[in-house]
Amino acid sequence: MKRLLLLLSFGLLGLVLVVVSSHAANTIKVGIVDTYSGPPAAYSQDVVDGFKMARDKINAKGGVLGRKIEYTTRDEKFKPDVGLAMAKELVMKENVDILAGTINSATALAISDFVKKEKIPFFVSNAKSDRITGQMGHRYVFSTNENTAMAGKAAAVALAKMPFTKYWIAGDDYEFGHAIGDGVWNNLKALKPSVQLLGQTWWKVGETDFTPYITAIVAAKPDFIIVATGGSGMVNFQKAAKATGLADKIPFYQHTAIEVTVGQALGMDAPEGVYGTANYLFYYPDTPANKAFAAEFKKLYGRYPKMTALYGYITAEFVARGFQKAGSMNKEKFIDAVEGMVLNDTPVGKMEMRKCDHQVTLPMFWGVTKKSPEYKDFLIAGDLVTIPASEYMPTCEQVLKTRGK
Amino acid sequence: MGARKSIVALVIVLAILAIAPLGLPRFYTYLIALIVTTGLLSTSLNFVLGFGGIYQFHHAVFYGAGAYGAAIMIAKLGYSGWLGFVAGPLVAAALSFIIGLICVRLSKLYFGMLQISLGSLVWAIVYRWYGFTGGDDGIHGIPMPELVGSPLGAYYFALIVGGLSLLVMHRILNSPFGSTLQGIRDNAVRSQAVGVNVRRHQLAAIVIAGFFGGVAGVLFVVVDNSVFPDMMFWTLSLEITIMALLGGWLTFLGPMLGAAVIVCLRTFVSGFTDYWTLILGILLVLVILFLPEGLLGYVLEAWKRRTSESAEG
Amino acid sequence: MDIISFICSPGVLCQVLVGLSRTVILFIVASGLSLILGVLRIPNIAHGSLYMIGAFMAFTVSKVFGGGITGYWMAVLLAPIIVAALSFIAERAIFCRLYEREHIMLFLLTFAFALIFGDLVKLVWGAEYRTVSMPRFFQGSIPIFGLPFPIYNFFLLIMGPLVAIVLWLIVNKTKMGKISRAAAVDREMVGAVGINVSLVFATVFVIGCYLAGLGGALVAPIVNVTLGMDHTLIIEAFLIVIMGGLGNIWGALLGALIFGLTQSLGILIWPQFGIIFPYAAVIVVLSFRPTGLLRSTW
Repeated sequence: MKRLLLLLSFGLLGLVLVVVSSHAANTIKVGIVDTYSGPPAAYSQDVVDGFKMARDKINAKGGVLGRKIEYTTRDEKFKPDVGLAMAKELVMKENVDILAGTINSATALAISDFVKKEKIPFFVSNAKSDRITGQMGHRYVFSTNENTAMAGKAAAVALAKMPFTKYWIAGDDYEFGHAIGDGVWNNLKALKPSVQLLGQTWWKVGETDFTPYITAIVAAKPDFIIVATGGSGMVNFQKAAKATGLADKIPFYQHTAIEVTVGQALGMDAPEGVYGTANYLFYYPDTPANKAFAAEFKKLYGRYPKMTALYGYITAEFVARGFQKAGSMNKEKFIDAVEGMVLNDTPVGKMEMRKCDHQVTLPMFWGVTKKSPEYKDFLIAGDLVTIPASEYMPTCEQVLKTRGK
Repeated sequence: MGARKSIVALVIVLAILAIAPLGLPRFYTYLIALIVTTGLLSTSLNFVLGFGGIYQFHHAVFYGAGAYGAAIMIAKLGYSGWLGFVAGPLVAAALSFIIGLICVRLSKLYFGMLQISLGSLVWAIVYRWYGFTGGDDGIHGIPMPELVGSPLGAYYFALIVGGLSLLVMHRILNSPFGSTLQGIRDNAVRSQAVGVNVRRHQLAAIVIAGFFGGVAGVLFVVVDNSVFPDMMFWTLSLEITIMALLGGWLTFLGPMLGAAVIVCLRTFVSGFTDYWTLILGILLVLVILFLPEGLLGYVLEAWKRRTSESAEG
Repeated sequence: MDIISFICSPGVLCQVLVGLSRTVILFIVASGLSLILGVLRIPNIAHGSLYMIGAFMAFTVSKVFGGGITGYWMAVLLAPIIVAALSFIAERAIFCRLYEREHIMLFLLTFAFALIFGDLVKLVWGAEYRTVSMPRFFQGSIPIFGLPFPIYNFFLLIMGPLVAIVLWLIVNKTKMGKISRAAAVDREMVGAVGINVSLVFATVFVIGCYLAGLGGALVAPIVNVTLGMDHTLIIEAFLIVIMGGLGNIWGALLGALIFGLTQSLGILIWPQFGIIFPYAAVIVVLSFRPTGLLRSTW
């Protein structure tokens, strides 16, 4: 009898879950698919929080077209098939107007293919594959973050101005790692033909013991190392670099090494003198807009905003202003409105959603990690240089060429 | 008696599902197709696990092999969709023959662990071979033949192919081959003594299971138009096993039910909370403690008890 | 002769040494898994989650005691004990009711716990990256063959054999150890002789989980403590246990050695497909010795 009751109650619960789908009718619904468990989750929460912060402000002013912006999240747990299924659920069952997400490039590419058929705009807020707005780009997919090709070129622009000539590339052996490595190297070689590549080292994703690799690299005596790791790997690598003293011997670069996610993870144990690029730093530039953004974020969530907070924030801004400018909920008009849209008052200043590839133009900051008297818990970036988007983004012609046009 | 009941139940369910799209919102068409795919996969695993007593710990490799076989044929080599759909399960069957041949000498846990090692090897190759298999990005936007390109077309394709596969597997299990297989599960030594070539029988069963796992892989490609290396990862193998155990691994349709429960749980609970794995874990604990034969197993047992009681009364 | 000079070159030797210290963590976790598998015959899927909890606990304990050297030692001391306590509760509450059931049900139960623990960690600690700062005592490196070898790795190279010896003593020299070895082979007989088999199982289970927590606590200063640590480790631990022989401590050590070395050397030889080498090693071992390299208790 007990068992029967148990079974029946499950059945009832199941039925309730299926039937209950709350929805206020007159809203703008945004569905966000992302990874909220596992190593990438450290970044994803900020996307939602940044989005929410912008959205709350917009709703407080009355929303857009008389509607409030509503959002819902789904955790794909870094599995592309789950992510795709969730995107389908959001579009077909929850009837979202806009999709956004995810840190997993494979998922982003799969969802991008899906929205092409469904004709729903998809804002990629966290995935770094350059194929998203490059080769596989189309009318319905937008990107509010940088990609590996962009990061690579920005780093190359900065490195070309430095005296190093003998390079080594090392990194996580997966698509992202290779893309960053290639991105930096190919552009650097083009800008400064005198550079030499002494060798490459690739380790498995999630590697925790870098000492053997570091010793081999040190033995080869390069001037500089390009380290192409993902977020979690960056922390591990910097720990190893500190322990083996690599940071004092040979300078190296990692994309987002100077960013606060990695910085906070390492604390004061982090090595100084590490070069990095990032699209957003809460303390630089020291503009009123950035200061206000960071202060507000800190007040709401009790922590400093990461770069992913910016991506979430501008996604909300584009969504709101897009519908506002379009004057209707029609998706095609929305897309026409967002294409070429310029945001003037973001925390990093002016940015444009390019019409040709739906990629947002963000500035990139290049700097070196160092201790600061102001922040006691983590290292910040010093010697900061701003590389404007025009210097490192691929041109429209280049992008269209990869799409075979 | 039980065999016929399963078939009748299956046919009724299929009939209902065939007319379902007329009434249900679009999303459920996709969801049911996904459940049929996953259920077929889980049933193919149970073919050897529950009915053969073979510790098939890395069944997902065959799923992935079928999917990648079809995907590469269509997207990379440019063959027609239908050819790809046939190639997939054949690749899976070939792979299961090779892996089965290597592993079948061992028994129980060791068989399972060796299969995990071999399967992980295959996964690693697919994961790394960016040029051919798309590496960790996978392959997306695989073009489908017109008939199955639309969501409705994919739905009916999954239903027909899935239903047929289940019928075929059911027939095999109720044939002399199937009886021998279950005999081996119950007592391998005795079967051997009676003259059964245990190893050959098991290998055949593994190939059949692998073949249908590959069919499930093809269904995934039809429904979702993409493949990911995750499809071959050992965590998926674990999940499929959980589905079979949850639904009832000693019944034929149990794994299907288990797959339905887990896919639905994942889809609907994640709308309310991010902690759906926690809920799944708790659900599993409850099922293990109170319903050891799995969900379907319990229902059948209860039914049997009721009918025998009423017969006596 | 080129090969020999390559193998004996400082770079490779140093690589071997470091691979060995990494192997220590694998060994400690795998030995716990091997114990549980050998005596209780449960493949403990939750073992990876306990390792992860050990690492997160080390972070919290270290913080409570103010970091630094005190924080570290308290973490290494207390975190595994907390993990062991957690496993004890799980065992008494649920596991022990199922010893009479089919193995596959117990396997399913450990999987359920792995799911629950995984989400619990997220609930309690959140998704942020955590770290345990390396105490000053262990910071820096010593030159070996002219190349820097981190001091902490030395410490691990000492801890590994220490743990192995202590374990071996417990399993072979104490009464409890002997009883558990007997129970692994024939639990009914042990029960018939009047010994509380359930209690024996509980003890072994708790010790095994303690080891998982210890591995997590020891690894915390050198890695990124993050969600998902459980997944990467569990499959490696299982393969090591199978390679070495179920329930065999030295087998776990041997398996960990082979696994760690093939991993680091594989990448040297064939970088693109280097991750295949450990799996290939397992396949080779199992093809020749299906029950593992050393004697297993099954």
